[in-house]
Amino acid sequence: MPESTLDRSAVDALRAQFDRRLADASTDQSLKAVTDEFLSRKSGAVTALMKALGGLPPESRREFGALINELKTSIETQLADKRAALEQSRPPAGAVDVTLPARSMPVGRVHPLMRVRQQVEDIFARMGYEILEGPEVEDDFHNFEALNMPPDHPARDMQDTLYLGEPIIGGTWGAHRAHTPAARRADGLASGIPAAQVRAATLLRTHTSAMQIRYMKTFRPPVRIIVPGRVYRRDNLDLSHTPMFQQIEGLVVGPGITLAHLKGTFEALLTEIFGDVRIRLRPSFFPYTEPSAEIDISCGNCKGSGCPTCKHTGWIEILGSGMVHPAVFEAVGYDPEEVTGFAFGVGIERLAMLKYGVDDIRLFYENDLRFLSQFPI
Amino acid sequence: MKILVSWLREYVDVPGTPEDIARTMSVRGFAVEGIEPAGDGDAVIDFEITANRPDCMSVVGMAREIATAYGLQVRRPAVRGRDTSSPVDPTAKPSLSLASLQPGGEDDVSITIESPDLCPRYAGALADVTVGPSPAWMQERLAAAGVRPISNIVDVTNYVLLELGQPMHAFDLSRLSGGRIVVRQARAGERLVTLDGQDRELTAGMLVIADATQPVAVAGVMGGAASEVHAGTTTILLESAYFHPLSVRRTSKKLGLKTEASMRFERGCDPRLPVTAMERACALLEMTGAGRARGTVVDCYPTRVEPTSLRLRRSRVAGVLGAELHDSDVRRILDSLGFALRDAEDGWDVTVPTRRVDVVREIDLIEEVARHYGLDNLPVAFPPVSIASAGFDPRARRARQLRNVLTGLGFSEAVTFGFISEAAAAPFAAEGDPVPIANPLSETFAVLRPSALPGLIDAVAHNRRRQVRDIRLFEIGAEFGRTSGERRTIACAWTGAATAEHWGGGARDVDFFDMKGVAEVICQALGLSPRVETVTRPWLVPGRAAALIVGDREVGVVGQLSPTIADRHGVPANEAVYVTTIALDTAEALVPAGDVQVESLPRFPSIVRDVSILVDDTLAAGTIRETVRTTAPTLLESVREFDRYQGKGIPEGKVSLSFHLTFRSAERTLTDADVQPAMDAVLGALRDRHAAVQR
Repeated sequence: MPESTLDRSAVDALRAQFDRRLADASTDQSLKAVTDEFLSRKSGAVTALMKALGGLPPESRREFGALINELKTSIETQLADKRAALEQSRPPAGAVDVTLPARSMPVGRVHPLMRVRQQVEDIFARMGYEILEGPEVEDDFHNFEALNMPPDHPARDMQDTLYLGEPIIGGTWGAHRAHTPAARRADGLASGIPAAQVRAATLLRTHTSAMQIRYMKTFRPPVRIIVPGRVYRRDNLDLSHTPMFQQIEGLVVGPGITLAHLKGTFEALLTEIFGDVRIRLRPSFFPYTEPSAEIDISCGNCKGSGCPTCKHTGWIEILGSGMVHPAVFEAVGYDPEEVTGFAFGVGIERLAMLKYGVDDIRLFYENDLRFLSQFPI
Repeated sequence: MKILVSWLREYVDVPGTPEDIARTMSVRGFAVEGIEPAGDGDAVIDFEITANRPDCMSVVGMAREIATAYGLQVRRPAVRGRDTSSPVDPTAKPSLSLASLQPGGEDDVSITIESPDLCPRYAGALADVTVGPSPAWMQERLAAAGVRPISNIVDVTNYVLLELGQPMHAFDLSRLSGGRIVVRQARAGERLVTLDGQDRELTAGMLVIADATQPVAVAGVMGGAASEVHAGTTTILLESAYFHPLSVRRTSKKLGLKTEASMRFERGCDPRLPVTAMERACALLEMTGAGRARGTVVDCYPTRVEPTSLRLRRSRVAGVLGAELHDSDVRRILDSLGFALRDAEDGWDVTVPTRRVDVVREIDLIEEVARHYGLDNLPVAFPPVSIASAGFDPRARRARQLRNVLTGLGFSEAVTFGFISEAAAAPFAAEGDPVPIANPLSETFAVLRPSALPGLIDAVAHNRRRQVRDIRLFEIGAEFGRTSGERRTIACAWTGAATAEHWGGGARDVDFFDMKGVAEVICQALGLSPRVETVTRPWLVPGRAAALIVGDREVGVVGQLSPTIADRHGVPANEAVYVTTIALDTAEALVPAGDVQVESLPRFPSIVRDVSILVDDTLAAGTIRETVRTTAPTLLESVREFDRYQGKGIPEGKVSLSFHLTFRSAERTLTDADVQPAMDAVLGALRDRHAAVQR
């Protein structure tokens, strides 16, 4: 090796060259290449310098020897550091890419109508109501006659009925009250519900009120029940009608029950369901209640100033209610002079449409998973 | 009922805009369907009149309610006008005497009521007329109410109907045979072409207006075409009657014919109104120059209807409304509505105007008071609790539990209709068992569903058409049958993935055993552990159908839906749909009573032995399991298949089955020596009974 190559500038140049190569090396492989390039026993650049030392005069040899040694140590340290850093950045054994998608755990949804139904049930359960279910096929007596709608009553038109081609055995109905020994004693029931109430069913119930009759014919006052369930009317499918829908009807009977109690109950119920709303009672007509009232809530959309949702009235009709007609009490053997009561019926679809902003009732019956999946688990 | 505000104002000086009136009346029991401007600041308000208030199906009726709501007086309709070009003079005195209606003479019409129970009152009068158009103001008012103007004569009758609520009819006298009226029931075989041009068959029991020979009108529903007033009519016979509501309702229903008249009669008109209405009509004929009454009003009214009287008790008002009202409020409201009050010791004796067919007992009076006192002015309270609540119907509780279980298993809840088409029902019920609906909306809703599955499969198809492939749905609801009546069920349908597609692999579509698992979980939730046996059902793929049985009762079915049925519902036939239904009522009855009693946990370890055998591939695993169980009863804790293999190395017609057998003793740790005899016995039995070969 020519003497001229072995001077300070050659060492500095090699150091600079190493710095550049090290900076570019980011993998094990490239780091190995850099190591070989500079430190290889055979062909390393630093090794070559070392070898060249021998050709120097002794005084320069010492000086350059120290320089080259220092370079070599520095390169070794830096390589070791870089190797350690590389090691550090490598994922631990068995590591996974946590950003990959999970294996899906399919969870279904409760139908929105049932969500609302359960919410209403829970509110009434807290208010001390019994939650009852009854048959969907009914007889004329329970669905109409006992509810002050004798044959040919014009009010029967209000809820055009679907009739069965021939009578069938009705469904069973249960009342939890019949299974509590104390109540059974008080009501004079030997056990359970008298089978005598079974009549052949001839129609699809137009409201769940039919169950109220069954209940009152079995138990003595006081009464505090709600009856949720499916009801049927001869309505064609459109934006706001379905031939089958879900209803919750309720009944409270006892001495001294008044219209004021009805108002208080619905203030509690509707503010719990809809938040901060005002309620209003509008006189109406149902054959089984007198006085009768529609209950409205203030429109949550426009806060009462008028919008399409509330047909520019500021109010939205929610449910029908009223004081139980004395004729209904007479039909079930209660004395209207002894007890009064209030009754109500609310369409679950209506509540759900308002609550969830659904504008087409048919969505509830299409069971489209893209619709159902929007509700929380 | 659509009413022009200006027409209302003829009878009551109600202030404010139409919107104000609508707002006020909607909290007095008259919901407003809409308000339409009608020029010159006038408007048409569409009041919804509830079925119990036929007295408000008129301008005067609504005016009376408005007067009460606003504390105003209501004017009565005038019978004399000053000219024919403008509406009736609102300042006219409420006089009902008419110069034109003189005491009777030769010209009086002959009226006979043969069915006084169906027609308690019939008034008739003759008038000489010149037929032409009615004045513009009358036409406008009729049109605003949705009634088409026809001629000055017909328009007057319709005007009175709208104004007073009394339906009227005009006959051409010359077209009435014998010039007489007979109110009677139709005879078998009689027919009548009604004003709408329909030739209608009349049946016995229908009340008709007849002349000397034949029916000329269906009483209270529609007149006949033959006796209709026409351009050349010179003398008319005006009818103003009271027909029994039920009679009109039945006839109208039977004929499928609803008219302005029938709607009022069937709800109940005022039996005291016919003659007043007749006089009003005659006055209007005169005022509009359409004609002039001749002779007297002949009023056939065999039994006078007297107003009823009801006792209204102060205590009862408070007892129902929850508020002590001032006597003066009660008095003011009822008086304004036309009730007459006389003080009684505990309240009032109230005379009910005959037009108020809805007021028949004390509670109806309380309603009147509440309505105009304002329901919003009543206090708010909470009902006292006097008994402990018995809580939830067990079925409602059960449904909630099943909802939790199934949504946890990935199933979403569907709600489908209770009726389906006959064709959809057919495979799911014995022939003739589906219950038909007598008056179905359409073929799609023709029978009560014998199973919730057809509706659920429709929902599957609906989703499938919208590119949703992986579908798990369930429904809890009623099923119906002629022999079994109404019963509760839960139905599930599953198609597409059992394990969804994933980058890590493992995707798999649903199979029988997935659905069997769901069925078993439902049964567990119900507290049952059924055995599973092969069944056949017309709606399930043969060989992929099983019944879930407890004791000797079938509680449910699980299997693969027949591709033919799936296809019929719109699910591609090559996509397997697995279904299960569990009869909830049956299951409920089988659930053991009482709370679960825990068993103590095992104190000693178990020994597990594996057995692999070759058997005929037609032999059910359940049978083998049963043999194992009965052969080694005391120490054997469980037996469970862990492998089933057919193919290479296994002879044709054979299958290799492998079981884990777990042995355990409650007293001590078992040794191989304890287990060996049991294993020998098991293998021996398998060999003897099933010709099993150990592998």
